[in-house]
Amino acid sequence: MAMMWALIGLLIFLVIIFIYYFNRLVVLSNGIDNSLSQIDVQLRKRADLVPNLLNSVKGYMKHEKKIIKEVTDARKALLGAKTIEKKAKAGSQLESALKSVFALAEGYPQLRANENFLQLQNELSAIEDKVAYSRQFYNDSILRYNDTCRTFPGAFFARIYGKTSKPYLEIPKEARAVPKVEF
Amino acid sequence: MTPRLSFRDEIKRNKLKSVILISVIFIFLIILGYIISLILDPSYFFIIMIISIVFSLSYVLISYYNSDRIAIASVRAKPAERIKHAKFFRAAENMALASGLPMPKLFVMDSYEINAFASGRDPKNSVICVTTGALEKLNKEELEGVIAHEMSHIANYDIRFMTLATVLIGMISIAAQIFLRSLWFSSMSGRGRDGRVQILLIVLGIVFAILAPIAAHLVSFAISRKREFVADATGVQLTRYPQGLASALKKIKHGHVSQKEKHKYSKAMAPLFISDPFKKKFKGIFSTHPDIDERIRRLEMM
Repeated sequence: MAMMWALIGLLIFLVIIFIYYFNRLVVLSNGIDNSLSQIDVQLRKRADLVPNLLNSVKGYMKHEKKIIKEVTDARKALLGAKTIEKKAKAGSQLESALKSVFALAEGYPQLRANENFLQLQNELSAIEDKVAYSRQFYNDSILRYNDTCRTFPGAFFARIYGKTSKPYLEIPKEARAVPKVEF
Repeated sequence: MTPRLSFRDEIKRNKLKSVILISVIFIFLIILGYIISLILDPSYFFIIMIISIVFSLSYVLISYYNSDRIAIASVRAKPAERIKHAKFFRAAENMALASGLPMPKLFVMDSYEINAFASGRDPKNSVICVTTGALEKLNKEELEGVIAHEMSHIANYDIRFMTLATVLIGMISIAAQIFLRSLWFSSMSGRGRDGRVQILLIVLGIVFAILAPIAAHLVSFAISRKREFVADATGVQLTRYPQGLASALKKIKHGHVSQKEKHKYSKAMAPLFISDPFKKKFKGIFSTHPDIDERIRRLEMM
């Protein structure tokens, strides 16, 4: 009799442990999805501001066709991208193209006095921060998920539920370089 | 060193401590009700208990659910404006993104000194308040460092525990006031009473006079100096830039609260702030915050 109760107790304990780890993995991977959508929101906001920026810049930077084209191309690539890796890559391209625009703007005193331009510059630099922080949080979420997936006993349950560790979001190398500006 | 972003142990500890604190409040009240009924008449025991439980329950619930508003009101802070305090909003939004927490409500209090605090009962109902001095004197990195520190207090539920601790102190001091006054009145019109009541009231008054300051120090221990180090460390995990908070703390160290400004801070609120507004020259075991130089040293070593 006592034996049976012990078995039942053990069984209940096992069920609870299984449920706990299942839920934990789901919660962690939902956290990743959520942080992913945060990055997406910020990238989209940036893409939305670009046309306004180009409008305010157009009158002054007539001869900077190359850089303007870079910005529009990067924006198009960002809006067309489907996977997060592609989005992140296009996002970084847009970021560095925008940096070049702002660096070039230094050479246009009239533009630097333009209220509208300054406000857009401010907003875009705020978004740049947000992209960086949401990317950091995304990688933090991945880290937490991977830690659970790779350490015991999480690793055991992750295998049972068919969950594998996920890759970090790397910043493309070319985006890390400081943009070159020729006057 | 704790692993990165592992708030979970801190959260568990703080939730447990909160439960213990609530139990302490109730045991305290039951003892209190028992003593009062002994003084008056044991047959009143249940009526007195019901009254005191209803009173204290509503007191605890009301202050718990309004804790953020009470804290904000006690320092006369105003809601931050998106355009006027753009820098504050930007730093707070960044830190909310970095921590994955919902955006807290932002408030600004009028003070020349650099300071900040967080309050509320959970991350969804939290506030961060900074002084106008902090917004004027800190640059972006420093402000982010300070807000990241406050965000860590929110993330690991320090704010909930602090709220409950403050509520407990408030209740004990209310009870102490009532007893001390009743002592006063009973000695004024003590003719009709018997001596036993008088003696018990005097003893209770003395007990409360001793209890109240001890309870006040409970708050100091609640967010112990160790917790500030934890919040500094987890805050740095959000900004990934220890120099920001370190240089903010240096600026805080060199500024000081003038006597004129001190009245703006309520003493019970002191442990909530990032740096103690009542700091004295001598630091003892009762200080609410660790030595600022030690905090800077640890940050610079990260």
